[in-house]
Amino acid sequence: MFADPAIWRFFGEGIRETLLISVVAVAVSFVAGLLLALGRLSTRRWIRWPSIAWIESIRALPVLLLIVYFGIKGSSLFRPIFGPDFDLPRFWAGVLGLSMYTSAVLAEIIRAGILSLPRGQTEAARALGLSHPQTLRHVILPQALRLMVPAMMAQLTTVIKDTSLVGTIGVFELLRQGRTIYTQFFNPIEVLLIVAFIYFVICFVLSQLSRRLELGRAPRLARIKIQEVQLRDQAA
Amino acid sequence: MIPGAIVFEFPKDFFGGLWVTVQISALGLAGALIIGTGIALLRVSPLRPLRWIGAAYVEFFRNTPLVVQLFFLFLGLPLIGFRFASDTFDNIFRAACVGMALYHGAYVAEIVRGGLLGVDKGQIEAARSLGLSYVQMLRFVQLPQTFRSIVPPLGNIAIALVKNTSLASTIGVADLLFGAEVVESRTFRAEEGFGAATVLYLFLTGPLGFAVNALERRMLIAR
Repeated sequence: MFADPAIWRFFGEGIRETLLISVVAVAVSFVAGLLLALGRLSTRRWIRWPSIAWIESIRALPVLLLIVYFGIKGSSLFRPIFGPDFDLPRFWAGVLGLSMYTSAVLAEIIRAGILSLPRGQTEAARALGLSHPQTLRHVILPQALRLMVPAMMAQLTTVIKDTSLVGTIGVFELLRQGRTIYTQFFNPIEVLLIVAFIYFVICFVLSQLSRRLELGRAPRLARIKIQEVQLRDQAA
Repeated sequence: MIPGAIVFEFPKDFFGGLWVTVQISALGLAGALIIGTGIALLRVSPLRPLRWIGAAYVEFFRNTPLVVQLFFLFLGLPLIGFRFASDTFDNIFRAACVGMALYHGAYVAEIVRGGLLGVDKGQIEAARSLGLSYVQMLRFVQLPQTFRSIVPPLGNIAIALVKNTSLASTIGVADLLFGAEVVESRTFRAEEGFGAATVLYLFLTGPLGFAVNALERRMLIAR
C-alpha cells in the first residue's frame, strides 16, 4: 500500500497542516510573549504582578490541558462577540491552546534576553533624551531580539512536536493523518515509524540550525537562564 | 455553587486521577534518571561506537513527539508480540511509565553529560594515576561530583515530566486530565472541571517550581 501515491499525498497534507499550525502559533505567541515580557519588566506594579502571575501559572500547566479546554469550549467563549452561531474552527482552537502556552515560554526567553543587555545601553539612551518607549523600541528590543533568534528557533521545534497534540481535538495534522491510515490498513508499526521519521527530520534539521546560529552569541548568564526555561517548558 | 466543589462531587475522577498522575511521574522520573545516566555514560565513554549509540538515542527521542512514542508503545509493541502486562489497563499504565522514562531519559542524559564534562580533568587524571580503574573512578570521583551540580536542571526536567504525564490520557490512562475530561462530558461544566484540574496540577508543579527557582538562585550566586 505504500506504493500508492494517495497515501503519500495524505501524509503530505498532514505535514502541511503541522507546519502551518506551528508557524501560526509561533507568530501569535511571539507578539503575545513580547507583551507579557514587557509587562513583567514594567515598573508599574499593577502591570508587573498580574504578568508574573499569568506567566508562572500558565508555565505550570500541561499544554494538552489548554488544548483540550479550547477544543471543547473555544466556540462558546467567542459567541458573545461573534454571535450565537459562531463555530471556532478546530485549527484556531489548536492555535489558541498552543500559543497560550508558548507565549508564556517566549515571554521568559525574551525577558532573559532583555535583562542580559548591559545597563549602560538603557542609561545612555535615556541620557540622550529618549523616552522609555523610544528606548525600548530603538535600543533595547532590536538588540535583545537579535540575541534571541536561536532560542526562538529551538522553541519552534518544541511547538512542532506539540502540534501532535492538536490531533486530539480534531485537527488533521501529521499524527492524526497517520492514525487514519493505520486504522484503515491495520499497520500501526510501519505508519508510526514513518510519522516519527518525518517529525525527526524536521525537528533535527531545525535544532541543528539553531545550534549552528547559537555559537557564542548570547551572554553566558542569558544562555543559562534560557536553557533552564526551555528544559522546564519543553512539552511533548 | 461553591467553586471547586466539583472535586468533591467526583472525588474518584479527580483524586484518583491525581494519584495516577503522581504514580506515573514518580516511576517515569526514576526510570528517566537511570536511563539518562546510562546514556550519558555511553556518550562520554572512551569507545567511539558507544558514543554513537548514545548520541543516536538522544537525538531520536528528543526530536520525535512523546505522543508518537506512546502510541508506538501501546499499539505497535503488542503487534510484534510484546506487552507490558496481560491486563489491558496495566498494559497502558506501564506503557505510559516506560514512555515517560524513555523520552525524558534523553533530556536527563544531556544534563548528566554536561555535568560529567564539567568535572575538572585533573580530578579524573589524579584518580586514574592513583590506580583506580575507569569504573572505580566513575563511581567514586566523577559521578558524585556530577550529581551535586545538576540538581536544579533535573528539577526542571521533573516539572516538565509531571506536566507531560497528561499525554498518557491520549492512550487511555485515567490520569488527572482524563478525569477532568470525563467529568466535563458528564456534566458539561467545563470551567469548573478544567479549573479544578488546573489547581491540582499547580498543586504538583508549583512547589517544585519554587524549590527549583530557589536552588537556581543559590547556584547562580555560587557560580
